[in-house]
Amino acid sequence: MHYVIVGNGVAGITAAFALRKRDARAKITVISGESEYFFSRTALMYAFLDRMNLRDLEPFERKVYQKQRIDLLHGWVEDLNADRRELRLKDGAEIQYDRLLLATGSAPNRPDWPGLGEVKEGVVHFVSLQHLAECERLTPSTRRAVVVGGGLIGVELVECLVHHGVEVDFLVREDWYWPMALAPEEGKLIAQHLRHHGVRLHLQDEVTGVESGTGSRVSAVQTGQGKKLPCEMLGICIGVRPAVDWLRGVATPPALGRGIQVDRGFRTSLRDVWAAGDCAEFQRPDGTPFVEQIWYSAKRQGELAARAMLGDSIRYEPPLFFNSAKFFEIEYTTVGATTRLPDTARSFFHRWADREATIRIVEENGAVTGFSMLGSRWDHTVLERWVGERRSLDDVVARLHEAQFDVEFGRVPLAGLRAAFGAREVRA
Amino acid sequence: MIKAGTAQWLLHDVKNRGITAWLLAVVLTSFYLVLYFTEWLTPAARAVGLDGKWTLYGLLYSIAIVWGGIYVIRKYRHNRYQIVRTSVVIFVQVTFAFSIPQLLKFLHQPEYYFSYLWPLKMEYLTPGYIFSLPLPFILYSFLGSLLMVPVLAALFGKRWYCSWVCGCGGLANTFGEPWRHLSDKSSLSWKIEKVAVHTVLATSLLLTALLFVTWGVGKSNPEVARFTYGFQSFYGLMVSSMLAGVVGVGLYPLGGTRIWCRFFCPMAALLGLVQKFGRYRIRVKENMCISCGLCSKYCEMGIDVRSYAQASQSFTRASCVGCGLCAEVCPRGVLRLENVRVRAPQEASLIQISPMPSVRQAG
Repeated sequence: MHYVIVGNGVAGITAAFALRKRDARAKITVISGESEYFFSRTALMYAFLDRMNLRDLEPFERKVYQKQRIDLLHGWVEDLNADRRELRLKDGAEIQYDRLLLATGSAPNRPDWPGLGEVKEGVVHFVSLQHLAECERLTPSTRRAVVVGGGLIGVELVECLVHHGVEVDFLVREDWYWPMALAPEEGKLIAQHLRHHGVRLHLQDEVTGVESGTGSRVSAVQTGQGKKLPCEMLGICIGVRPAVDWLRGVATPPALGRGIQVDRGFRTSLRDVWAAGDCAEFQRPDGTPFVEQIWYSAKRQGELAARAMLGDSIRYEPPLFFNSAKFFEIEYTTVGATTRLPDTARSFFHRWADREATIRIVEENGAVTGFSMLGSRWDHTVLERWVGERRSLDDVVARLHEAQFDVEFGRVPLAGLRAAFGAREVRA
Repeated sequence: MIKAGTAQWLLHDVKNRGITAWLLAVVLTSFYLVLYFTEWLTPAARAVGLDGKWTLYGLLYSIAIVWGGIYVIRKYRHNRYQIVRTSVVIFVQVTFAFSIPQLLKFLHQPEYYFSYLWPLKMEYLTPGYIFSLPLPFILYSFLGSLLMVPVLAALFGKRWYCSWVCGCGGLANTFGEPWRHLSDKSSLSWKIEKVAVHTVLATSLLLTALLFVTWGVGKSNPEVARFTYGFQSFYGLMVSSMLAGVVGVGLYPLGGTRIWCRFFCPMAALLGLVQKFGRYRIRVKENMCISCGLCSKYCEMGIDVRSYAQASQSFTRASCVGCGLCAEVCPRGVLRLENVRVRAPQEASLIQISPMPSVRQAG
C-alpha cells in the first residue's frame, strides 16, 4: 500500500504519522513544494522577529521521518490523474499512489485594487516560507509600510514590522479590530494596545488604489477616506482561501467549491482521494459549505482523515469552537460563540482597571455558550466543559477560578469581577 | 531576521555564537583558569581591600547576579512568577552566598554557605571537615542535605533549589539570560546528559562513602586514606573546578547557561530523581499548542518541551529546573508549572513514554 500526501503542513504531517502508527508496513510519501520539512506556520512571525531560526520552526527532529519511514519529496505537484492513480510533479517525475490525501492548505486572498497589477515590488503576504523570505528581503529598504486586513495575520505582520523599526499604517475596513471574533469593547482594547506600540491604526477605511514608483515598487496607498499613505511595502492580509487553484487544470479535478468538496469522511469526489485541513470544504446539514482554517482544525482533520483512509468509518463533526491568539503582548483565548449572537443571548463583560485584561461570558437561555478572554490565561478545556454542561452564568462566575491558568503568583484577581457581576444591571 | 544597525548586529552576534560570543567565551574561560589555578587575582583582591581572591570572586559573582537579575525582572515584569523567583535568587546570593559567610568570618566563625548543600558542596558531608565545625553547622549540613533538600524537592520539584536558591542556577538565570536558548535540544544530547550527570552523581556518592570510611578507619589504614584523598582532589579538580567553573560558566556564550547543571551537577541529578516521583509537573493544556517551538528554544535545560506540548501531554522531566520560561514565552498560554497531589503514571515513569511521533526513548 502506498499512501501519498500532498502538502506537508500540520494536516498532512499529522495524517502521515497517524497512518504510520496504524500501518507499520505501508509506504508513505509526503510531497511539498514549499519546504523540505514540516514547519510551524504559526511561528513564521518568530523567525521574522529573530526569536527563532528557520530550523527552530520544525516541530520534529529530521531523523524522525527516517525513523518513521516517511518519505519526504520536495517538489510541486502539477497534475493529478485519479483514473491512473498518478501524480506528476513539476520536474516531470511521476508518482503512483494507492490512496491519496490532498492537504494543500491555504493561499492568501489577492484583491484587485486599481493599480495593484502594475506593482512589481514591495507587495507581500505573510503565510508561507517564501513570503517570509520576501518580507525579510524588503524590510531593510522599507521605512513605511501599509498593512491591510483586520485579522490575525495582519496583526502579526504589523508586530514584526514595528519590531524592525518600520512605521506602520494598519488599515482595517471594519468599525473595530476583528469583528469576526471580538466584540467592540475587546476590539477597542486591542486598538489601544496597537496604538500604544506606535501603530497608526485606521478603522473603517479601505484601499481604493495603489501607486507605484521607481522600479515599479509600491509607493503609496489611497484609501476610501481620501488618505494617501506613502509606503515602500504593502502587506495584504485580507484572509486566506483554500489553495486549490492548481487542481482546476489537472487531468481529473475533484469536485471543487471554495475548497475541495469532501463528505464528512474526508472523501473527495475522486476514488481513493481524500482531502483534509484548510483546503477541505464540508457541507452543513442545511447545505451551506464551510471550511475550517485554523491550526487546531487542520491537526484534528489530519488525524481523522488518516483514520478514514485506513478504512475507519469517520463522520467528522467539528467540536465546540476554540481558538487562541496573541496581539503583541495580549493573549487571547476564546471558546464557543461570542460574536454575531442571536437576540436571546446576553453577555457579561468585565475589564480589569489596572491591566489590559478583559473577560466576556455569553449566556443564552440560562446556559453559558461562549467565552472571550484577553490578557489572562484560561484553561479552555474547563470552559468547554461548562458550555457542555449548560451551566448558568451565576454558577460559572462563582467557579471561574477553576479555569484560571495564569502563572503561579500571577493569577488575575477575581474579587472585583465578582463584585461587578453582583452589582450588574440584569437585562431582560 | 536581524534588526538593522551595528548595535543590533552585535547583540545578535553575541547571543547567537558569533565571533563576539567566541571571544567572550575565551575571556570567561581564561578568567576561571586564572581564578582556579593561579594566584594572580590575589593582589587585585587585596588592592580593593578584600582578604583574598575568593572574596573578590564572590563579590563579582554577586554583582553579576544583581545586575542580571534587575535586567531579568524588567524584561519579564508582567510575569509575577519571574519577579518573585528572581528577587529570591538575588536575595539568596547577596545574603547567604556572600554577606553572611563574610560576616561569619569576621566573627571568627566558619565561613559557611547556607545556600549550598551536599552533594553540590561535597565538604558539607565530608566528615573530616564538617565535624570540626560547631554543632549548629553540623546539624544544618546533615538535616539540610538529607532531609530538607529531598522533602522540598518532592513537594515543589527541584526548582526550589535549582532556580530559586542555587548560585549556579542563579547566575544562569540572571547574567546568563542572553544565552539561555543555546542549549542543545537534540535527542542525542539528552542521551549524553543522562549518562554524564548520573556518572557524576555516582562518583560523588562513592566519594562521600569513601570519605566516611576513611574517617572511620583511615588512621589504621593509610592506604585507604591515601586513595580517598587522591580521589577527593581529583574530584575537586575535575568536577568543582573544571566542570562547574571553567566549562560551566566559560561556555555560557556557546553552549547556553546550564551546561553544568544539565550534564554534570550531582545535586541536580539527585533532585531530578526525587522530582520524577514528587508533585511537580508541567501541565499542558490540551490541543492548544501551535508547535511554534518557543518553549523548546528558550529551555535552558535543552528539554524539547514542544514535543510534549504538541502531544497534549503533561510531563515531568528529571532535568527540568522549573525556571518557568517555557510558560512565559508560550504565545498561547499552553504551559503551567504546578505542584499536584496526583500525577498521571506516565508523568512519573522513569521510562518516559514518548509523545508520538518521536525518537525519544527513556528519561
